[in-house]
Amino acid sequence: MNTKTKGLAAALTLAAVAAPTTAEAATIAGSGSSANTPYIEALFKAYKKVDKKNTFTYLSNNGNAGVKDVQEGRSAFAIQTRAPLPSDSGTSYNKLFLDALTVSVHPSNKLTNLPVKSVKDIYTAKVNEWSAYPESGLTSPIAAFGRVSTAGLFTFFTAAVLEGAATATSVTPVDKDGEVAVAVSKNPSGIGYIGLANSKPANGVKRLSLNGIPPTPSTIKSLKYPLSRYSWIVLPANNPNKAAVKFADWIRSSYEAGQVLTKLGAVPAFNATKPSKKKK
Amino acid sequence: MDPLVQSSQATPRGLHSDRRAEFLLGAVVAGVVGFVLAMIAFVFLEGWPSFAHNGFAWFGSGGSIDRQTEAIFTSANLKQEPIYTFRAWPIIWGTILVTGLAVLLSFLSALFVSVFVVEFAPDWMRRILEPVIRLLASVPSVIMGLLGVLIVVPFIGQHVISDDMRRSVSFIVSLNGYSLLSGVLILTLMVAPLMTAVFVDGLRSVPRGWIEGSLGLGINRWRTFWKIGVRTARPALVAGTVLATARAMGEVIMLAMVCGGVGFSPNPADGLIFFLEPTKPIAAAILQSAEELTSPPMRDTIFAMASVLLFSSLVLSLAGWAAKQPMKRYGVRA
Repeated sequence: MNTKTKGLAAALTLAAVAAPTTAEAATIAGSGSSANTPYIEALFKAYKKVDKKNTFTYLSNNGNAGVKDVQEGRSAFAIQTRAPLPSDSGTSYNKLFLDALTVSVHPSNKLTNLPVKSVKDIYTAKVNEWSAYPESGLTSPIAAFGRVSTAGLFTFFTAAVLEGAATATSVTPVDKDGEVAVAVSKNPSGIGYIGLANSKPANGVKRLSLNGIPPTPSTIKSLKYPLSRYSWIVLPANNPNKAAVKFADWIRSSYEAGQVLTKLGAVPAFNATKPSKKKK
Repeated sequence: MDPLVQSSQATPRGLHSDRRAEFLLGAVVAGVVGFVLAMIAFVFLEGWPSFAHNGFAWFGSGGSIDRQTEAIFTSANLKQEPIYTFRAWPIIWGTILVTGLAVLLSFLSALFVSVFVVEFAPDWMRRILEPVIRLLASVPSVIMGLLGVLIVVPFIGQHVISDDMRRSVSFIVSLNGYSLLSGVLILTLMVAPLMTAVFVDGLRSVPRGWIEGSLGLGINRWRTFWKIGVRTARPALVAGTVLATARAMGEVIMLAMVCGGVGFSPNPADGLIFFLEPTKPIAAAILQSAEELTSPPMRDTIFAMASVLLFSSLVLSLAGWAAKQPMKRYGVRA
């Protein structure tokens, strides 16, 4: 056998060995909300027990960009924190679980509650000083942090709290949800709107009640907490990836996914409350 | 036969392969030049609709650039008539300030450090300093950004900015440590080692005889090195500065993390507060808008910003080249 023939034989053998693997296993790419990243990463880990074959990856590039990725075919699915818009054509939105946007302050701030209207006043710069809220125990100027305008949370906050009004120039926009938490945790005069997953005490911030209602699982599930909202999975309207659809169904309905979400602070909305009995 | 003579009498086959190599390398160079030209043309053409809609006002000021950006991509999201209104002065001014101040600080520190390393430092210290400088020059910018967010920004926010300073501008902008100063300090830390490395190489290539001649005439070391070493190495200083300026202008991640992300023009009339005001350089603005690249008007605007950055780099390279020409007669080539 000459060298060329040997090379061809080796290539054919390799192709024969590799073909079944590449035909079955795939990498399912998702992208979107940075506020939901902690949930999605934990769900990927738990889902490995269900789908051992496929690999799921997630790019945290903000919700609006994730939807565009799905429209352009770069991602099999996106996670979004706002409701659909006219520009989202060619995609289908499905509710996954309940989450909330929290308004958080530095732990040294004595404030525990703010009316939603006051949050609006702060983010539209009608109020610039903590002395306007004596319960805070602070007299310093307010350092408000928000998100860049391409984030789904920005869109949600603008609609739900600012009622469409423009964010003041005195609000410092940062790129990712976790960065807002870091900024607030490092600034005693800070206030920021942060996703539920990144606003735990371990993140160095304190969540505020809004209109007297704290962001707890029960108030979020009953939608009493003013900034309760659904996290959505966005799939292509036509021919969605089957593995991505199965993953979405598992998040929505399985007991195991519900447990993961509860552990991280999100609120399962449609998940089974008891583990399913295995068929023998 | 003498091997030199033998090699000079090339066989037709040898000549042929030389020509082939020449042709191949020429084709590679032409390909690279063609690629660069095509890239420049592509970026300018893609950004043209934004320039065409705004005219020269594109480079001016007026309104909030953040609101304008929001309106541009929202117009696409809501499938409205595309909006193109964009006034880029705050980000152009932000780029000039951050780059200019960082390069100025870097130049001064790099010059003194490199003179010390080449002429005055003892050998053992030189052996430590040089690798450390080269290591610093290669630290990824995201690490610098993290150091900025976790250390520099909170330090400035809590220990440099007073409540009175915050109050004085609180109706316009928030002073919280994310600032021009944070960006300049960290950028200086990033580009000064790069500049120092180039300066050290330049100063080291000054002919030793020139220095020794001056010392032999009884002129002291310090004066000798300034008057002969540094003056001779001016082309290398220009090259290092151009390289560092290009690096500073193109810096993205770190500046997006520590400058505040607000399209605001820091005002020198504000006194010291000027350095504590947030800003947004062009490269950081591109990064923050890049997620909306698929929205047609936003895409055109992003490419318009990119073409300004590209044009600035071209001008910078040409200015560096022009500055070096008269110096080459006397000094070290770089």
